Parts: sequence; structure tokens; C-alpha cells
Amino acid sequence: MDLGFAEQIGFRALTLLTFLPTIGALIMLVFMRGRPNAYKTTALVTSLAAFALSVFMIFNFDTSTAAFQFQENFSWIESYGITYHLGVDGISMLLITLTTFLSVIAIVGSWNYVDDREIGFFISLLLLETGMLGVFGAMDLFLFYVFWEIQLIPMYFLIGVWGGGRRIYSAVKFFLYTFTGSVLMLVSILAIVWWFAEQNGAPTFDIQTLQAAGFPPGLQFWAFMGFFVAFAIKVPMFPVHTWLPDAHVDAPTAGSVILAGVLLKMGVYGMIRFCVGFFPEVTVKAIPWVMVLSVIGIIYGAAMSLIQSDMKRLVAYSSVSHMGFITMGLFAFNLQGVEGSVLQMVNHGILTGALFQMVGFFYERSHTREIKDYGGVARPLPVAAAFFSLFVLGSLGLPGLNGFVGEFLILVGVFQYAKVFAVLACVGIILGAAYLLWMYQRTMFQDLTNKKWLSYKDLNLREIVTLAPLAIMAIWIGVWPEPFLNMLHAPAENIIAQVQPYMAQQDSVFHMASTFLGGF
Amino acid sequence: MPDFTAPTPEMIVVLPELLLVAAVFLILLVDPFTGRDRTAVVAIALSGLLASGVAAVALSGQEIVSFGGMVALDGYAVFFKVLFAAAGVLTVLMSPKYLEAHGRHIGEYYALLVLAIVGMDLMAAARDLIAFYVALELMAISSYLLAGFFRNHVRSSEAALKYFITGALASALTLYGISLVYGMTGATNYYQVGQGLLGDPSSVVLALATALIVIGMGFKVSVAPFHMWTPDVYQGAPTPIAGFFSVGPKAAGFSAIVMVLMTVLEASQETWSVLLIFLSLLTMATGTLMALVQKNVKRMLAYSSIAHVGYLLAGLAAMGRAGDSEAGQSVLLYLAAYTFMNLGAFGILAYLKSCNAADFDYSLESMAGLGRRSAPAAILMTLFMFSLTGMPGTAGFIGKFYLFTAVVRADLTWLAVIAVLFSAVSAYYYLRIIVYMFFRETDRELSAEGTPVGAMAAALWASAVCVVLIGLFPSAIWDAAVHALTGFAL
Repeated sequence: MDLGFAEQIGFRALTLLTFLPTIGALIMLVFMRGRPNAYKTTALVTSLAAFALSVFMIFNFDTSTAAFQFQENFSWIESYGITYHLGVDGISMLLITLTTFLSVIAIVGSWNYVDDREIGFFISLLLLETGMLGVFGAMDLFLFYVFWEIQLIPMYFLIGVWGGGRRIYSAVKFFLYTFTGSVLMLVSILAIVWWFAEQNGAPTFDIQTLQAAGFPPGLQFWAFMGFFVAFAIKVPMFPVHTWLPDAHVDAPTAGSVILAGVLLKMGVYGMIRFCVGFFPEVTVKAIPWVMVLSVIGIIYGAAMSLIQSDMKRLVAYSSVSHMGFITMGLFAFNLQGVEGSVLQMVNHGILTGALFQMVGFFYERSHTREIKDYGGVARPLPVAAAFFSLFVLGSLGLPGLNGFVGEFLILVGVFQYAKVFAVLACVGIILGAAYLLWMYQRTMFQDLTNKKWLSYKDLNLREIVTLAPLAIMAIWIGVWPEPFLNMLHAPAENIIAQVQPYMAQQDSVFHMASTFLGGF
Repeated sequence: MPDFTAPTPEMIVVLPELLLVAAVFLILLVDPFTGRDRTAVVAIALSGLLASGVAAVALSGQEIVSFGGMVALDGYAVFFKVLFAAAGVLTVLMSPKYLEAHGRHIGEYYALLVLAIVGMDLMAAARDLIAFYVALELMAISSYLLAGFFRNHVRSSEAALKYFITGALASALTLYGISLVYGMTGATNYYQVGQGLLGDPSSVVLALATALIVIGMGFKVSVAPFHMWTPDVYQGAPTPIAGFFSVGPKAAGFSAIVMVLMTVLEASQETWSVLLIFLSLLTMATGTLMALVQKNVKRMLAYSSIAHVGYLLAGLAAMGRAGDSEAGQSVLLYLAAYTFMNLGAFGILAYLKSCNAADFDYSLESMAGLGRRSAPAAILMTLFMFSLTGMPGTAGFIGKFYLFTAVVRADLTWLAVIAVLFSAVSAYYYLRIIVYMFFRETDRELSAEGTPVGAMAAALWASAVCVVLIGLFPSAIWDAAVHALTGFAL
């Protein structure tokens, strides 16, 4: 059933992919200090190579199975059953490609962004890429935890060194929030691994083995909480989202792109892989709670977006709202919901990444993100306005663009689970249209009050090259999502199969209401 | 009754210590003839320590008890002897530049340091309460002198005095505990005492003796509420010595505690595991919360070391609960991991101080902008800070991973949860150093530290390499810890 790398692709593609950015970073550090063109080119070439490799892997990917592919497995710490075990299914393959894709965008987009300690900036971006790829590729819980924590460090430096505003506060807040969740997850990991060791004689950190272990309900509940809190902080779900607006606003553009594009997805990915995989029974019991938190996140994030005067903060809060859709779709646990949720992760990565990138481009010109300092920008910067409109429309769910496909599938899925949540989520969509269009109107249209905009140039070739791939992807997924959904069918069915046995008693809104009253 | 017709002791049991003592004598002999250049002295100290470490490694695999059952050579002793030799080598390497910057580079420093390590070695090798006590005092008295080595500095003298008074009190408490168990059993050999006590595990006297020994040793390894000397001593002592105190005597204290708890006080396992849970919580809380408010990096590291002792105590408590040796192994692994990361952090401070003897005052403020002035020093410090935080890929994470595993396995999951939450809080003060080094700038006129060179660089990079190696490939050191606890001789 399991597919090794040897039969499939002939070389250790996942290891190569994961550590390619690290190798690039080391080359830059050792040989290229003080030579900006050399190290920037190296960073770009490295990230492009990683992207090319991930695309190559997709072409060798077998979409007909939920089995993990391109597997590599070595013993690492033998006495504890810890292995260096990599492998991907359709979900992680898609997210890996999203990661390599957005890393290229982030590097091109910040070509001239920093002037202070520039080499460190690009090294951080590459190390971050390694961390993210490792998270999605790890099939060993220990290895997963290592990558999960490691990627905090480059992000911490990206915000702290190259950020703006209250960068130090935001960087530390980002780190401490995630770290607190992570250490609780660590205890949960230890608890389930040692329960397994007591039952089976030897500990293992292998994710698939643990998924088949069948933990007792008491352990499931507490361990689920440890994992879920860590992932909920990362997503972020209401009410542990408060690090996100700060981190997003104060991060450099590339940091925001990656943060919104990939890091948030690690939270949902963790829920899929661990909460569902290890604790299906408790996951099913948690559905109503997650639904409620998601709806609160959707409406609260949208409402907060409405009142923001800072464009970046607006986009940041819109992320809270959109991530609510994604968790909601996942926890509907039907084919449309799960596939829509994973597809929407990709869509959100593309669209929100693009929006952050555009806000960054505007900021590089005007050094302001206040909406009131904009207005009528479409006239001096028509190309920018055109791109901006595309991403705004995609983000609010215009049919024909990718945001619509994901949101539609999610709503179909949630509707089947409970109509009330689908209706409430629609309120979020309406609010989304409101804040995005209102922002677009206030910044791009209306009178040109701030005359400085006349002196700013429209997007240059590099900036267009940064945005064009995002636009192409937004249209492609919007028009023809089939190739992407194809990759998700098998793993989505697998997820549903894992929770199916426990779903029977959870299918009515009435039952949900009683769950509310009765607690767990 | 013990056998008083002891045969000729097998000297090979204490070969590493004999090499160290030879080095001490050589240092004292050579020192008067060296003039102002102490290279020869440093070389002797280094070769003595290296030879002792190599001898210990060469002797591993043997199990000999000699000196009438007082001193053993086994995996347990070897583990600590190698660790102490490594800590000694690193301390010696980071000392010359620092002492020269303070105009007090004299040979006795190295002699005292090596003597302290002799005491530490014997503490780990002792299998008899009297031998243990003598070794403890050898270490302690050398340490008092080292703490007050800058006798013209008020803080250094204060450190020595405080260390001496609390140390003497601690020794007295330990000795009282020892005398009680001797009174109960008529023996001083660990094994014999342990066997003797098994007959009467619930006696009040045993509980009292347990408390006295644990508290006495608690003073030595700075367990709250017996920790109050720690920040002052670390702040006043020469920085390499403060680093050494934070790892060497502490690890030696734990080597004795683990051994005594497992053998002598096996009977009162219930008592001490409860006592240790309580002390662990108090120590973690005190260390972590006090470290949060420190402005002086040395004092911060002192409180952070208290917090780490709290984690170690949780491991000891698990050792009492779990009923197998895995918790003890995790304590040993943690001590090894902690040695390199903490000594490395103090090494960076020693380096910074020796670059700016007048202007660097160990305040957070004087760390500001270090990333610009000396990227290598700042990057190394970052590594040590992340390791102390417990980030994966570093020794600190491996230490915590094994330690908390042991705690979870002993059905003390709630204690592990509290411990990881405290380590999340501790991330704040470790990160703050990084914030100052990379994210802030300073107006102070600090001369550029540049890249560390020579012995100092060797010490810093060696610590860093150990931190990363243990972080990525812990199997070797874990196996050594397993070997240390599965085959110790009594």
C-alpha cells in the first residue's frame, strides 16, 4: 500500500526538496556575504529549483490513492522508535507546492524590500521554507514537532529584525503564543506515545501506526485538547487569534505573505493529520464547538475588517474570517466540506498572499497603509488597480475566481451538516464583500485627494512578474479546479472514513443543542 | 560490621583523579617560574583535564569497587567524570582572556578549578557516605575560593562569603542526615545503609534524615527555597567560574543525589518523591518568575539555572515513582545537555566582558546591538538561548524531551504540563536577550567585539557543536546514560 520513493521517482525527492533551501542558505552564508546580487540570485534560483522539484513530484504523484507517497524511512533515535520518515498524500503534496510557490513569490516580491542586513533576510526566508516543507512532509511525530518548532525561529527574526511598527512586541507575541501551544502538544505527544508503548511494548512516533492505535476515551480527550489548542492558535481560531493582526501588520511583506499563505495552513493541516487521525471519536464530539468557534471567527473577523483604517490590518482580520471557513468546512466531514476546506487553504494562500503583496507594493511607494491616505489610486496606477481588483474579487468569492470554488464547496458541505451554520457563514460572505469592496472603492476609486500618488510609478516588470503567477493561479483554480480536487478525492475520503464510525449519533442539530447543554 | 582489614586499594579506580592531582601539583610548581605569561599553566591544566577525560573513557566498561567499598569505577562514575572534564576544559579555555582583562591571571585559579573537579569526580564515584562528604567538601572549599577570586571586588568577596556561609550550613545539614542514617544502620556504605534501612521504611528518623540530606543537597544545587545565594554568587564570581558553578558543582550535586536516592534512601522513596514534587514546583516557579524581572543577564541566567533545577527535580520525582532507571537516565542526559548550553552562554558573557572590561556591565542594555558588532558571538548566544528555551535541533530540547517523557511515564502528566508551561514562560526571558542583540540598538560606546579568536573561540564553538550534536544525534549520549544507570557498582 505504501509507496516508497524508489519505485515512484527514483531519488530522495522529499529530502532533497526539504533541505534544498537550507543548502542554498548555507551557500549564501559561506560564500556570498557582501555581494547582494550573488546571494539574491542564489536565493531565487534555490526557491525556483524547489518549486520545479515539487511540480515534478506532482507529475509523478498517484492521485488514485490516499496512501503516502515518495516515502523515505530511516531509524533516527532507535531506543524511542523515532524515525526520519517523510511522505506525502494529496493534501500535503498540494500544500508543499503552495509553499514552494509562495516562497518564490516572496523572494521576488522583496527583491528591493530590505536594505539592512539583507542577506539575513533571504537566509531566513529559505530556512523558513525548509521548516514549512518539513512540517508537511513529516510522517514521524517527533520529526513533525522538530520542524513545527524550527520554523518559528526564522519567522521570529523576520518580524523582529525587518518588521515595522511594534515589531519587537509582535515578534515576541507571535513566538510565545505558538510556543505555548506547541509545548502543550508536546505533552500530548508524550502521553499518547507512552500509552502506546505500554500497550505494545515499544514506543513509536510513526504517525500511521499511532493513527491505528485506538486510544482510550479519557486519553483521547486530553491529548486532543493539547493538539487542538496548538493548532487552533496557529490557524488562528477565535479566541486565540490575537497574535495574528499584530504579527501580520508588523511583519515585512514577505513575512505576511508566508504567514498568511502557509503558516496558518499548518494549523489546519495539523488538525487533519492528528486531531482527526489520532482522536476521531473526540473530534466528532468537538464538531459543534469547532463550528461555533469558526462561525464566531468568520463574523468577528469580518466585522473587525470592516472597521479597520489600515489596509494591512484589514487583510489580516479577513484572514481570521477566511480561516473560519476552512475549519468549518473540514469539520463538516463530508466530501464537499473537506475538499473545499483544503482547496480553500490553497486559495487563501494565493489570494491573501497576493493582497499582502499588493499592500506591500503600495506601501513601498507611499509609506502609508492608512486607507484615508489613498483614494483615486486607480488613475495613476492602473495596472496595480487591475491586479488589486482581481485579488479583491477573488477574495470576496466572485464566481470564476478561485475563492468562489472553495467557499462554495465549503458551504455545500456545511449545509449538509447543519443549515444554521451555512446561513451564518453566508453572513460572513456578505460582510466580506462589504469590507473588501468598500476598501477597494476608498483606495482605488473616488477623488485623488493625496496628490503624492501622481508622482508614484505604476508596477514595474518585477512586481508584475511577482503578481502574474498569483493571478494566473487564481483564475485557473476558479475556472478549472478539477486537477486540484483530483488530488484531494482519495485523502478526503480517507479522512471521512476515519470519523464515519462515530458520526452516527452526531447528525442532527437537535443533538447538537443537547451536546451544548450537556457539555462533552 | 565493615571489614577494616582493607586490601591494598586498586589505584586505577581513581586514575582520572590522580592525573588531575598531578596537574594541580605541576601548576603550583611551574607557576612561580612563568613570569607574566601563563600559557604553560593553562596548557598543564588543559592537558590534565583532557588526560583525565581520556582515562575515564578508556576505563569505561569496567566495574571495580575499591578503597574498602568507598569508591567505585563504573559506568555511572565514568559518565560524570567525562562530563566534568569537558566542563573543566571549556571553563579553562574561556578563562585566560577574561582574567587578563581583569589583570588577575594567576596560576592558583587553575589549580583550584582542577581541585574542585577532583572533588566532583569523587562525588560521582563515591559509594560511601563518608567518602561522599569528603569529596563534597573538597569541591565546596575550592569553589568558595574561586568565587572570591577577585578579592578586591566587593561583589566577588560578597559572593565568596555568601557561598561559604550557605555552603557550610548545607554541609552541616547533610552531615546531620548522614549521622542519623549511620545511627540507624551502623554503616556508611551506600548499599549497606540502603539494605539496613529497608527494614524500617516508615520510621520518623528516616523521614527526618531524608529531609535533611535532600535539603542539604538542595542548598548545593540551588533548590528553592534554599536558592537565595545563587544570583549573588553568580553575579559576583568571575564569569567563567559562575558558568562553571552553574553546571559543574550542580551536576556533581545531582550525581550524588541520584545515587543516594536510589541506593541509600530507597526505603523512603515515598517520602522523597512527594517532597521532590513539591520542591520541583516551587523551584520552577521561583526560577522562572524571578528570571522574568532581571535586568542583569548574569542574574537572569542564575534564576534560569534555578528553573532548570526545577525541571531536574521533576525528573527525580519521576525516578521515585516510575520504579525503573529511565527517569534517572533522563536526568543524566539533561545534565549533560545543560552543561554545554549554559556554559556556552556564560562563555559569551565572559567574552563580551573581556572585550569591554569597563563598559560591559552584564545589563541587557549592554547586549543591545551585538548582532551588528559581533555577528558570530550574537549567533552563538542565540543558539544557546534557543537551546535553553528547548527548541528542537538543540541539546535543550532533547534534554526536556527525555525528562518530560520520564515525568509523563511516571503518571505525573500534570507536573509535565506545569513544567512545559513554565518553559513557555521562560522563552520570554531567553528571547529578550535575542531581542536586545538583534532587534535593538544602543547609544553606548562599546568597542566592537569582533570575532572571538583563540582559546575563547575554541570554548564557544566547542559548546555550540556539542549543543547541536546532542540536539540532532542524542543516541550516543543516551546510551552512555543508560549504561551509567544500568550497570553501576555498589
